[in-house]
Amino acid sequence: MKTRVLEEGQLDLLRNSSGLLYRMKDAQSASKMKGSDNQEKLVYQIIEDAGNKGIWTRDMRFKSNLPLTEVNKILKNLESKKLIKAVKSVAASKKKVYMLYNVQPDRSVTGGAWYSDQDFESEFVEVLNQQCFKFLQSKAEVARDSKQSPMIQRNSSFATSHEVWKYICELGISKVDLSMEDIETILNTLIYDGKVEMTIIAAKEGTVGSVDGQMKLFRGVNPIIQPTGLVKTPCGLCPVFDECHEGGEISPSRCIYMTEWLNF
Amino acid sequence: MTAQEARLCGLLLREHFGEVVEKIGTHLLRSGAQNLRTIASFLSIFQVKKSLCVLMKHGACRFSIGRKGPGSPVEYQASCERILGILRYPRYIYTAKTLYSDTGELIIEELLQRGHMTMSSIVKMVADRLTHNMEEGRSIEYNEVVSTFSKLVETHFLQRCPPVSEVVPPVSTAPTVPGAPAAPVSTGPPTPESFSDCYLVPSVSLAGRGKRRRSGEDVVLDQGTTKKNRLKPGKLTHGDEGIYWQVNFERFHLHFRDQTIISAVASKLDQTSSEIVRTMLRMSEVTTTPSASCTQALSANEVFRSLPANYSISRPILDQYLTLLVDDPMEFVGKTGDSGGGMYVVNLHKALTNLARATLESVVQEKFGSRSARIFRLLLRKRHLEQKQVEDFAMIPAKEAKDMLYTLMSENLVLLQELPKTPDHAPSRTFYLYTVNQLATARMLLQHCYKAVANLIDRRLFQTKESKRLLEKSQRIEAIMASLQASGAEPEQLTEVEEMISAPEKQQLESLRHHINKLDSAENQVDETIFLLKSYVASTARITR
Repeated sequence: MKTRVLEEGQLDLLRNSSGLLYRMKDAQSASKMKGSDNQEKLVYQIIEDAGNKGIWTRDMRFKSNLPLTEVNKILKNLESKKLIKAVKSVAASKKKVYMLYNVQPDRSVTGGAWYSDQDFESEFVEVLNQQCFKFLQSKAEVARDSKQSPMIQRNSSFATSHEVWKYICELGISKVDLSMEDIETILNTLIYDGKVEMTIIAAKEGTVGSVDGQMKLFRGVNPIIQPTGLVKTPCGLCPVFDECHEGGEISPSRCIYMTEWLNF
Repeated sequence: MTAQEARLCGLLLREHFGEVVEKIGTHLLRSGAQNLRTIASFLSIFQVKKSLCVLMKHGACRFSIGRKGPGSPVEYQASCERILGILRYPRYIYTAKTLYSDTGELIIEELLQRGHMTMSSIVKMVADRLTHNMEEGRSIEYNEVVSTFSKLVETHFLQRCPPVSEVVPPVSTAPTVPGAPAAPVSTGPPTPESFSDCYLVPSVSLAGRGKRRRSGEDVVLDQGTTKKNRLKPGKLTHGDEGIYWQVNFERFHLHFRDQTIISAVASKLDQTSSEIVRTMLRMSEVTTTPSASCTQALSANEVFRSLPANYSISRPILDQYLTLLVDDPMEFVGKTGDSGGGMYVVNLHKALTNLARATLESVVQEKFGSRSARIFRLLLRKRHLEQKQVEDFAMIPAKEAKDMLYTLMSENLVLLQELPKTPDHAPSRTFYLYTVNQLATARMLLQHCYKAVANLIDRRLFQTKESKRLLEKSQRIEAIMASLQASGAEPEQLTEVEEMISAPEKQQLESLRHHINKLDSAENQVDETIFLLKSYVASTARITR
C-alpha cells in the first residue's frame, strides 16, 4: 500500500536516524509533479534540498547516479515546466547552478548587492564610496568649526555605521536595498583608501545600530604627509626606471620625461 | 654600500671637491680600508695625500691602526654616510637660518664648507661676510657673532672635534695628516660626545668688528683696531688654537625628525595638538638619547608649565588633548603611568614607522593609481590575503584586481607567500597569499631614491655642459660690465656691452637657469624622502638588535 501511495506521488519518503519516515505531500505540490516520472522526481528533490545555494550539474550527477544525458534532459524538462531555474554563479562565469523557481538565490551565488547580472557594478560602488566620504568629511568639518572642547569636537565628528546607512538610504541613489553590512564594506574600502578611520565602542544592546553590543564609528581624517619628495620628480614615476643607465639608450641625459618636466 | 650609493657619492665628491678627490673617494668606498701605498698605486702620492687631507677635514675619511697590528701602516676608510650627507647641506643651512637668522646661517655655511675650523676664524670670517652685505658705514661686532656661536653650541648643533690623543703603543706610526683626530688602539674612533669638553665654548679674546673688503684689493681696512695689529694682520692669537669645531649632524637629524613628526600631527589632528607635541619633544631634547624608541616620560604637569606663553589653554583642555593624542590610531603619544597627572611619552619609533608607511603608500598611489594604493594599504593592514579576499575587501572587480596585483608584484612591492596544504606542494592544493613587507620595501625605495638623485645630478651636469659655451660668454660679458661700472663708464658703453648677448641667447640662458633650479630643488625634495626612509630603517635596526 505504501508503495502505491508513493508511486502516485502523494507521500514523501524521508529517512532519519531511527528509520524511514513518511510525510503527506500537500495537494498543490503533488499536482506539480503529476506527469513526471521517478527520475524527474528525484532530480527535483535534490534541487529542493540544495535550498537557495543551488546545485551544479556535476554534483547533481553524483547525487542521483544518473548519466549526463539523462540529467540534462530532465533539467530541460523541469525548466520548461517552470519548476526550476538556472542561475549563473559570479565566482565562475561558466558555472550554472539550478534551484527551485521561486527561491531567491543566495548572496554567494549572485554576489549580493554589488552584482547585477553577474557584472560587478564598479560605478555604483564608486558613487557610494564618494557619497559616504562626503558625508563623513562634512560631519568632521562641522565638528571642527564648532570650536568646542577637543573631546566634544572629536566625538561629534564620528558617525555610526547606522547613521551612514540611513543617510545613503535617504539619498535614494541605490536601486537595491542595502543592508548595514553592505554599507560597512563600503566604509571599509574608505579605510583602505586612507580617508577614514574606525573605532569600535561598546554599546548597550538595543540601541539603534548596535550589533552584538558593539558599534562601529567612522570618521573622516586627513593624510599625515604630503605626497613624498620622490614622486615629485620624473624618476619616481618613470616606467622604465630600472633600465636607465648613464651612457645607455635610456639615460638621464636623454630622458624625454625629464625634458618634458623641465619645460613645464 | 650599494652600487647606487657609490655612484651618488662619486657624483657628490666630484661636484664639491673635484675629480682627484672623487677618484680617491670612490676607490676607498669600493675597496674598504686600505693603507697609503695601496691607494697610491694609480695616482701620485702627493695627490693622494692631499685628497685624504681634504676628506678627513670634512670627516668623510678616518684612519686607524692597521689590521695586522701596531707595526703595520695606517689604514684609511671612507664613510659613505658622511659623503651622502653632503646632499643635505642646503637643509642644514636653511634650518640654521630659521632658528638663528643670518648669523647662524653663515656660521653653519662656513663650517660646512671648511669641515673643521677654530672658533676665532669662524667668527672673523662670518663678521666680515655680514659686514660686506650691510650698507656702507655699518659693521657687525664680533661679540654678536660669538653669542650666536655660543647659542649654537648650547643647543648642541656645533661640537668640538675630538682632540688628538696620544696613541698608546710607543712604536705607533704618527698620523700623516695633520690637524685631524686620532683614534685609540682598541676600538673604533671615539665619538665626539665621549669627551667632556665637547660642548664647552672656550673663552677667547676677540674684540673688534667685521671688516669690509674693498673690491679689487686684498688689503683689509681696519676700523678701530690698534696700530700694532694693523702691521701684523696674520699674527693674532685668541687663545683657542687647537680647538676645532664641527657641525653636529646627529643633532640636526634629530631636529628634522622632530619637525616631521610635528607637521604630521598638525595635519592629522590640529595646530594645538602639534604645539603640545612640539613642547614635549623640546623638553626631551637633552634627556633622551638619540637612539631611543620613545622619549622620556613627561608628566602632564610639566607639559602644562612648559607650554609656550601664547598658547594659553586651561589644564582640563590640555588633559583632553593629551587623551586624544593617546587614543589616536597613529599612536604618536603613549601614556605610561598616572603619576603627576599622567605620564606621557612620544613614541618615536611608531611615529617613524607610520611616516614611512605613509611614504610607501604615497609612492604606490602616485605611480600606480588610487585603486592599486587601496590594495597596497589593504595588504599592509591585513598582512596576508588570498586573491579572492583581496577582491572582496577592496571592492574591485576580479580582472582588474588581478592585473593590479601582478603589476605590483612585478615591481617587488607585493610578495607571494605559498602555504602548501599537502607535502607534495601541488599548486592546486596550495594557498597563495599576497603580503607586503614594509621594511624590505622601504629599503628598496631608498635605493630608488639614491638612483633618482644621481640621475638628477647627472642631468644637471649634462645641461650645464651642453650650454658651456653660452655660460662662458655670459660670464665674460658680466665681468666686462662689472669692470666698466667700477671704472665709471657711460650708459651707452654699458648698453653696447649688453647687446653682445642676443635675445634668443638671453632666453636660452633664462631657461637654463630655470632648469638648473628645478633640478636642484628636486634633489632637495628627494633628500627629504631619503631622510625619512633612512631614519625608519635605522630605527627598526636598532629595535630589533
